Amino acid sequence: MAKKKTQGGSNLKPFYIILGVVALLGAAAIGYGALRRPSAAVEPIDLSSLDARALYEKAKGVGLGDPAAPVQVLVFSDYMCPACAYFSTRSTPLLKQEFIDRGQVQLIYYDFPLGGTHVHSFVASRAARCAEDQGKFWEYHDMLLGRQQDWSYSREAPIGKFMGYARELGLEESRFGGCLRSDEHAELVSANHELGEQLGVNATPSVFVNSRKVSSPNDWDELRPAIQRELGN
Amino acid sequence: MTAAPAGSRPAVSPAAAAPPPVTRMALAVLALLGVLVSLYMSLYKLGLIPEIACGGGSCSRVQNSPWAMFLGVPVPFLGLAGYGALLAAALFGLQPDRQDDRRISIVLLAGAVLGFGFSLYLTYLEAVVINAWCRWCVASAIIATLILLAAIPEIRKIGRSG
Repeated sequence: MAKKKTQGGSNLKPFYIILGVVALLGAAAIGYGALRRPSAAVEPIDLSSLDARALYEKAKGVGLGDPAAPVQVLVFSDYMCPACAYFSTRSTPLLKQEFIDRGQVQLIYYDFPLGGTHVHSFVASRAARCAEDQGKFWEYHDMLLGRQQDWSYSREAPIGKFMGYARELGLEESRFGGCLRSDEHAELVSANHELGEQLGVNATPSVFVNSRKVSSPNDWDELRPAIQRELGN
Repeated sequence: MTAAPAGSRPAVSPAAAAPPPVTRMALAVLALLGVLVSLYMSLYKLGLIPEIACGGGSCSRVQNSPWAMFLGVPVPFLGLAGYGALLAAALFGLQPDRQDDRRISIVLLAGAVLGFGFSLYLTYLEAVVINAWCRWCVASAIIATLILLAAIPEIRKIGRSG
C-alpha cells in the first residue's frame, strides 16, 4: 500500500512543481500590480452604463458660499475652455460680490472635461480635486483657469506645472503628487461629466440657476436677472 | 499481503499503476489560472489594487456596470470560489486512490459545465448589454472553455464506474 502511494506521489511530483511555479508567478504578478505606483489617469472612465441612483452617489460638486442659500447656481466647467476661464475670472467675482457673500447664492462647481482637443482637462480636474483633499480646491481652480495659457498647450500631461501650482499654494507636495499620479478622483470627475451629459450639458460653461439653464452664462445681464427672479426680486 | 494467483488480475489497482490523468492535471493548472485572474479582479474590487491593467479594454466600465454583481455578490468573488473549488477537486482527484472516484468526476464535470455556462452569460452581457470588453473577463471565459474541454474525459469515467 505504502509503495502504491509513493509511486503515485512521485508521478505527481513534476506536476506539483509546475503548479507551484504557476502559483508563485501569478502571486508575484498580482503583488506587483498591488504595489506598483500607478500612472496618472488622464482619461475619463466610461460610466454611461451606471443607473441614475449610482451616478448621483458618485457625482459630487464643490460648493462656494452658504449651503442653505435660497439659490443654487450649478456650473459645469472645463479647465481648458477659454469661456470657462472668463466665467471664473469675470463672472464669478461679480456673483461673489453681489450674491454669494450675502448668503443668497451658493455656487456649485461640477467638472465637465470636454475631451477631444481638450486633452488635459481631465487630469486638470483631477488635480483640482487633489487640491480639494487638502482644502484648497477654489485656490487651485482659480490658478488653473487663471493660468490656462501656461499649461493648456503642453504636449504631455502637464504634471510638472500642476505640481508647481501645488507648491505655490503650500500644498503638501508628496500627498498631492501621490494623488495626481494615480487614478484618484477619476471616477468622481467622470461621474460629474456623466451627470452633466444627463442634464443636457453640451458646452462649457453650462450654468443652471435652481435647475433652469442659463443660455449665456457669461452675459452678466442675463445671469444676474435669472438669479434675481429666483430670489423673488 | 498474499501473492496474486497466476493468471488473475494484479492486486494493484489500474489507477495506481497508470500515470496520473493528464486532463485532470491540465484542469488543475487551468483552475489555478482562473483563481489567479479572479483573485486579481477581487483585489481590485476590494480597492487593494489601485489600478487595473486593462490595455485598450474597458475594464472599469465593465466593473462599474450593474452586471458586475450576481445575486448581490461581486462576480470576481464567485469566480474565486468556483475556480478554487475546481482546483481543490482536481487536486483531490489526482490522488492515486481517487483517480477512479465517480464522485470526483461528477463534481469536476458539473463545475466545468456550470463555469462555462456562467462565462457564456457574462460574455453575452459584455458583447450585447454593456457593449464593452474587459480583457480579464475574456481571459476567464477562455479558461472556463478550456476547463470544459479538459473535463470531457470525466464523462467516460462516470459511465464506466456507474
